[in-house]
Amino acid sequence: MKTIKIILALFVASLTLQTNAQTADEIIETYYENTGGKDNWAKVTGMTMNAKVNQGGMEIPIEITQMKDGKQMTVVNFQGKEIKQGVFDGEVLWSINFLTQKAEKSDKEATDNFKIQSTDFPGPLFNYKEKGYKVELIGKEEFSGTECFKIKLTQKPIVVDGKEEENTSFYYFDTENFVPIAVQTEIKSGPGKGMVSEVTMSDYQEVEGLYFPFSMTQGVKGQPGSPISIDKIALNPKIDASEFKFPEESESGTDKN
Amino acid sequence: MLVGACMVPTNIEAQDEPIKLKNLFGDLTARHIGPALMSGRINDMEAHPTNPRIIYAGTAGGGVWKSNDAGTTFNPIFEEYCQSIGAVEVDPNHPDNVIYVGTGETWTRNSVSIGDGLYRSNDGGTTWNKLGFEKSERIANIIVNPNNSNEVYVAVLGALWSDSEERGVYKTTDGGATWNRMLYVDQTTGCADLAMDPNNPNILYASMWEFRRTGWSFNSGGDKSALYKSTDGGATWNKIHNGFPEGKLGRLAIAVAPTDSNILYTVIEAEDDARKGLYRSDDAGASWKQLNNDFGITVRPFYFSRIVVDPKNADVVVKGGLTGSISRDGGKTFKGLGNMHSDIHDVIFDINDSDRLYVGTDGGVYRSWNGGTTMEIVENLPLSQFYHISVDDAEPYNVYGGLQDNGSWYGPSSSGGGITARDWNSIGPGDGFRVLKHPTKNIIYSEMQGAESVWRFDADNKLVKTIQPLPQKGHDELRFNWNAPMAVSTHQPDRFYMGSQYVHKSEDMGDTWTIISPDLTTNDKAKQNQEDSGGLSMDNSGAENHTTIFTIAESPIDQNVIWVGTDDGNVQVSTNGGKTWTNTTPNISGLPANTWCYHIEASVHGKGTAYAVFDGHTTGDMKAYAYKTTDYGKTWTNIITDDVEIFARNIQEDYENPNLLFLGTEFGLYITIDGGKSWAKFKNNMPSTAVHFIDLQKRTNDLVMGTHGRGVIIIDDISPLRQINQEAMSKKLHFFDSEIAEMNDNSESFGNGFGAETQFVGQNPSSQAQIKYLLPKRHTFGKMTMEIQDMNGNKLATLGPGKSKGINIVNWSYKIRQPKVAKGKTFSFGGFTSPRVQAGTYKAVIKKGKQTFEHTFEVAYDKDNKLSENDRALKHNTTMKMYDMTQELAYMVYELDALLEATPKAKVKTALNELKETLVITTGDNYVASAESQLREKMADLYAKIAGSYDKPSNNELQSLKIIEERFNKAKSDFAKLKKKAKVKDLQLKTFEDFINE
Repeated sequence: MKTIKIILALFVASLTLQTNAQTADEIIETYYENTGGKDNWAKVTGMTMNAKVNQGGMEIPIEITQMKDGKQMTVVNFQGKEIKQGVFDGEVLWSINFLTQKAEKSDKEATDNFKIQSTDFPGPLFNYKEKGYKVELIGKEEFSGTECFKIKLTQKPIVVDGKEEENTSFYYFDTENFVPIAVQTEIKSGPGKGMVSEVTMSDYQEVEGLYFPFSMTQGVKGQPGSPISIDKIALNPKIDASEFKFPEESESGTDKN
Repeated sequence: MLVGACMVPTNIEAQDEPIKLKNLFGDLTARHIGPALMSGRINDMEAHPTNPRIIYAGTAGGGVWKSNDAGTTFNPIFEEYCQSIGAVEVDPNHPDNVIYVGTGETWTRNSVSIGDGLYRSNDGGTTWNKLGFEKSERIANIIVNPNNSNEVYVAVLGALWSDSEERGVYKTTDGGATWNRMLYVDQTTGCADLAMDPNNPNILYASMWEFRRTGWSFNSGGDKSALYKSTDGGATWNKIHNGFPEGKLGRLAIAVAPTDSNILYTVIEAEDDARKGLYRSDDAGASWKQLNNDFGITVRPFYFSRIVVDPKNADVVVKGGLTGSISRDGGKTFKGLGNMHSDIHDVIFDINDSDRLYVGTDGGVYRSWNGGTTMEIVENLPLSQFYHISVDDAEPYNVYGGLQDNGSWYGPSSSGGGITARDWNSIGPGDGFRVLKHPTKNIIYSEMQGAESVWRFDADNKLVKTIQPLPQKGHDELRFNWNAPMAVSTHQPDRFYMGSQYVHKSEDMGDTWTIISPDLTTNDKAKQNQEDSGGLSMDNSGAENHTTIFTIAESPIDQNVIWVGTDDGNVQVSTNGGKTWTNTTPNISGLPANTWCYHIEASVHGKGTAYAVFDGHTTGDMKAYAYKTTDYGKTWTNIITDDVEIFARNIQEDYENPNLLFLGTEFGLYITIDGGKSWAKFKNNMPSTAVHFIDLQKRTNDLVMGTHGRGVIIIDDISPLRQINQEAMSKKLHFFDSEIAEMNDNSESFGNGFGAETQFVGQNPSSQAQIKYLLPKRHTFGKMTMEIQDMNGNKLATLGPGKSKGINIVNWSYKIRQPKVAKGKTFSFGGFTSPRVQAGTYKAVIKKGKQTFEHTFEVAYDKDNKLSENDRALKHNTTMKMYDMTQELAYMVYELDALLEATPKAKVKTALNELKETLVITTGDNYVASAESQLREKMADLYAKIAGSYDKPSNNELQSLKIIEERFNKAKSDFAKLKKKAKVKDLQLKTFEDFINE
């Protein structure tokens, strides 16, 4: 009996040691392995998420598409009208102006900064070295009462108001499941510059063998965030490249209902 | 055997694991309401050496703030660490990334906070590492060698209230891994200022200062104060006093002109008033010449001693002071800086344009665009330093309090659009301390330092009267503390207490006073020499008045039970309304003699129950002391554990759960749910700032904290903490009891207009229904959803539930989804309105995995809105009728569009198009090119008007509804005819239900 206990104690001790010795790479590796396998993640060519945001009783359906080649768009549905926001075709970043319902290009700096991150799919941590990013394990830290590995990700610098700035974010990986439950990023531009944005993730569920968070909140650290619930995630969507193209001088609000 | 012994306690733990409160706070989050309009004390300013947009402010009690917009606005970057800042330094070799912060403010007034060491960030302030100096208490300067980042000098001023060997100049040559003490005098003398020759990093100047403060005295100066120079990187030091005044020296400042290494300035505190002031050397310290001893240069050296030289002109010198002074002739003559808050501690020049100045004062950061002549305040630094706060029972309740050098104020806990500068009202000048609202009348009591004035303000008639107790025949001269105690009674609303060394009681709001106690202090004459305070420069501000009463509490259960705590360690109790008093301090064990009794909380849970908090930091004792008695002080039990890292000033009990207590410490808030057997630090949006006073608002259960550096911080509704116990923790999900949720009809705001974009806005509490539950473990995998249902199980709203371990709070706006609106060319803005539900009982239903959890709760109408039941019903029915009409029209347009596409008949097509043009807008945009409103817009706008009003629908609105109904009915019959004419067979349409819910 005593022997069993000693073995057990040693086993527990070695487990603890293992966890202590985690490196950022191992954590990220484990995350991708646990959520479907790195090879499978690499095969994904894109995804479309259908989600709802709720703002004070107003339910707004949105559809977010991200493609492996960096193309992406968000379609917001207001009163049956689909309004495209944050559309990127690889070169041009554009959105529909809500008032005129016409497409307008983002400024060059925002576009350039967006372009820098166009290789991020399926996530900036995936093959981060190939993207020229750096990660660093800051250590164990509690996020909202849950023990996490805190990993710092440094992406390529961006340019804000004419000045180059470091582009870092912090990922909180649940030490039990090795999935990120929160990401914090310093806001780099606009009036919120210097504040920290926070996205939390939960409700990880399987889609074709891969795990995605189906529930998120988005906000500023220290303040209640707005929840986003995801109804559906479709992998490898077939979307015509023209959907991402900036509509030169055309009216938009593509009525497809 | 050893293994067995280890296993046993583990097993016990598994059965009854103590609750770790620290992990359970979840969504319980502090909100900051400022105020920022008077801001707070700044200790040190720092500029980025190459990017003029970046400015740092190191504050006395509110952490480090960074501006990315050249000082227009600031953001906090040091929230989790000690908030008292001595020095901020940017590494000139890595200015975007490497920042050093030395904690512990260095302008050593009586109310200063303490530091806990040196920190460095390698990523521009996002994350921080501690580099030691835990016992340094105050760091005056940090200088990085501009040629070698591994070489850093740290000036440690050290402990203010005790001897310490951690003082002097320290140096690292390995980037902070190891430190050597390069200059040390003795345990009473610290380094007050350090400068490096900008052209030769081996040349250093250090001013050493002999100083000491006690609770009753301050001394600046002695034989050991001196100015030193090193030319070998700190290895050897020599005094450079050629031309200095004779005798003892006090605090000295030192600055080297950035453009000329030979030009130095120092400000000297000396024995002889005539020889105090500004000295200049033109030979790198070999000789000195006195240039000026104006008041602005010599005033209060311990508080103002900074000299700053223009980076472009060695003859432009700024000296901190009461108003701040600037010289443009090399220090011979000075003029005052422009109008701003008094007490200037530091100044920096813009790196490119010396017309631009940033000034740190007792009232925040100011900017100047014209060389310091006109000054404008930074409006988003909520650094207010409260000594005390209280709350009233108004709706919303107000918070009252007094501030260091910034008077007394009150402001609302909630205001339309957020709590802004204009919401705060001044209620007394000078230094402000306690401010109390009369329990029933619209009268406010406030005071200034030493009870020199105590004001009674009749807020209705704007009448003010001073009511401080005056000396009485047969009694000693009154000794009031700097922060003199006052108290009101819950039993007799007009009763008002004040404390000198005696307890003064008034039954008529301060018009007449009776002394109801003997001298309750130790009356130790050795501690009553305020007028001798200051050392080389007399500093008789009253801040060192001692052997005084500091706290008074009347039992909320029995008005004859009165508690008094004194600054020299007595806890006295009377059980007969002040006829006799008993000193209970001898019954407290483990408390060093004469430890300052900072607060006594008379409990609502028992007549003889009270809590006493003691603060020994003015003797150098940094431990927390809090005790509980249940027998009028005959016995006291220690309720502090090792969980509490630093000294405490205040405790607040919960009014319902006697085991729930809140402790205000120098480094933030601690909470216990087991009566003090264990404590957890509360960190959710709660910086490690000094909490000087806590109050619990009875109606809302909001915990309101007066912090000394971050203004008023509130944790809304702490009632979930009452309900955390083993039983709740054993469930998969535990709903907390909730109070009736009231739908507030108050109009939030018409907006605050323009011109306030750069101002701080205090966060409002949620006005929504809040569903609160406890998760013993975070939900990470699988679906977890939440719906609000009526009692028949009909879904009313889908909400995003919280998934955190611990307390989760989900807000519901009382609204159902907005109606589905017919598709047109533009938006129908009225259609974005969601209707509110009726008062009644509702269910929150959470599905987590395969399990379902339900919680019923009550929703009530705004009790201030006196609409009758019939009116309520009319409003609801009309709103829902229009909601349904709007959706019906949406379906009709959907059907019409489908028909348009399907029908081959050109004539019908034209007719359908004509009909459609009357139903929805088909041209224009959402702004100035908008087209004329059609049925959809008219219907939705009226719907929004009625749904959005607090009132019942007016006759005018009902008539308008009739017109819309008629037009809709006609449209329906027209459409029915066209449908027949179109003759489209097998038109594939969604059902109405599917269409609405898609």
